[in-house]
Amino acid sequence: MKSIAFGQFYPANSPLHKLDPRIKVILTVLYIVCSFLCKNLLSFALLALSAILLILCGRVPIRIVLRGLRPVLIILAFTALLNIFWTKGEQLLFAWKFIEIYAEGLYAAVFMMVRIATLIIGTGMLLTYTTTPIALTDALEDLLSPLKKLKVPVHEFAMMMTIALRFIPLLSEETEKIMTAQKARGADFSSGGLIQRAKALIPILIPLFVSAFNRAGDLATAMECRCYHGGEGRTRMHVRHVRLVDFIPLLLVLLLGASLIFLNVLGIGFSMK
Amino acid sequence: MAEIKLENLSYFHGKDTPYEIKALDTINLTIPSGMITGLIGHTGSGKSTLVQMLNGILRPHEGRVLLDGQDIWEKQKNIRSVRFRVGLVMQYPEYQLFEETVYKDIAFGPKNMGLGEEEIRVRVEESVRFAGLSPELLQKSPFDLSGGEKRRAAIAGIIAMRPDVLVLDEPAAGLDPRGREAIFSNLVKYHEESGNTVVIVSHSMEDMARYCDNLIVMNEGKIVMQGDRDYVFSRSNQLTEVGLDIPQVTKLMLILKEQGIDVDGGIYTVDQALERILSIYRKSL
Ligand SMILES: Nc1ncnc2c1ncn2[C@@H]1O[C@H](COP(=O)(O)OP(=O)(O)O)[C@@H](O)[C@H]1O
Ligand SMILES: [Mg+2]
Repeated sequence: MKSIAFGQFYPANSPLHKLDPRIKVILTVLYIVCSFLCKNLLSFALLALSAILLILCGRVPIRIVLRGLRPVLIILAFTALLNIFWTKGEQLLFAWKFIEIYAEGLYAAVFMMVRIATLIIGTGMLLTYTTTPIALTDALEDLLSPLKKLKVPVHEFAMMMTIALRFIPLLSEETEKIMTAQKARGADFSSGGLIQRAKALIPILIPLFVSAFNRAGDLATAMECRCYHGGEGRTRMHVRHVRLVDFIPLLLVLLLGASLIFLNVLGIGFSMK
Repeated sequence: MAEIKLENLSYFHGKDTPYEIKALDTINLTIPSGMITGLIGHTGSGKSTLVQMLNGILRPHEGRVLLDGQDIWEKQKNIRSVRFRVGLVMQYPEYQLFEETVYKDIAFGPKNMGLGEEEIRVRVEESVRFAGLSPELLQKSPFDLSGGEKRRAAIAGIIAMRPDVLVLDEPAAGLDPRGREAIFSNLVKYHEESGNTVVIVSHSMEDMARYCDNLIVMNEGKIVMQGDRDYVFSRSNQLTEVGLDIPQVTKLMLILKEQGIDVDGGIYTVDQALERILSIYRKSL
């Protein structure tokens, strides 16, 4: 429960960290599309290469990126196995009783793994590791602002998200403080049965709720005092301007997509159906 | 009597994350028993981290914490008994109150010790007196108390465990002068009556000079100086270097001394200064 380490944001000074978050959201969507364009060995190789480039551009240690892959390890292994044993093809490599393994199956397994891994690494590098949650909310508000015409309260949702995100580290810091204070009085959170453990939470939850409500009340008053009235006519303190260089990554991703399609058409190496 | 000794103690906040901070850097320290010790340092110098080592809230990454010569982490299961022997009042302790009544809240610690009702009652009453809280408040909800009263109720909650060592992290932070005065004078009274060791953390030199026999000065996770207050305040240059200052009256006295007026060092309160100046004035008449 380290407040500053909230989320997976990894602070660094990299081109990806500096890139406009709105562009990053669009890039993410395009990147996902790209990963589904891949069909053959060469295009998957190019996709994997692009993921490695992203990691380099974001200057996030490889150890942390790999840690992000850990939760999907089981899914990766499972899809690989499914593909190896269930894909039927022409090139039989191995057969024993009812088990038949085809070259197509092996390729499909590798392809699926590369696809899932690059999807995770791509969205991680473009969004979670290099964009603070607050910047992300702002970007989504901007990108969704056309929906305001349809009377969708985009600004209000974004504001609620921002406040909630701001409160998470505060609350976790507070929880830690209160836990420490109660431990100093001999509270024991880690032993006893289920009911006893639930009871041990009362000395934490009550002060936590009291202070959260107080804080929320204070915040509402402070916003009221500054005449907050929702999104209409509201301007930003930090207006983000898309710079010309911000378009370069967009071009690069479009180029990536085009090359992938081209490689598919060339059809060198093994192709997935 | 309980003596706390720290040996080559180091602690990192956020260890193994990109935010790693060395909060304590090879600390060697003995906290003398039966005295009021003041721990001073700039904000962020590691005072709060250090006091959380003393009762085993935080576990050192390097080095040992010895309580009466025994490493407190040697038998990890006994860490709770260490917390009862070294009572820690955290910074802004009023946020820890949670029970329906002040009485029940103060009784939380003793109850965790497994004491009987009668013993708890005795201890609650005793600690309320030490903390300077009026006994009528015992049946009120802690959330209905004033800020200063909440603070005292929280302090009473620790004193009720009858710790051998009472540690307070910035006990007077955010209180008005009268509230500060009340907290400190009650602590001094508690110290005199119980004879227990008291450790007070603060960054106010005025308060420290007034109430503490022994001072420890911290800066950037290290101990810069330790000694009685005459020793510490005679090194004002070194104090300024770490962003601290000697009390204003002491400074005034030093200036007077430079002007050739016969005041001695070792004056830390306005009352002492007044007395000294008046006596010089009377002599000169
Ligand atoms: N829970 C925490 N997580 C990360 N860093 C912390 C935490 N608590 C304190 N620190 C850092 O450790 C250093 C020492 O802090 P602290 O012990 O609170 O100092 P003090 O009490 O003297 O103001 C500071 O740099 C502070 O930012
Ligand atoms: Mg502190």
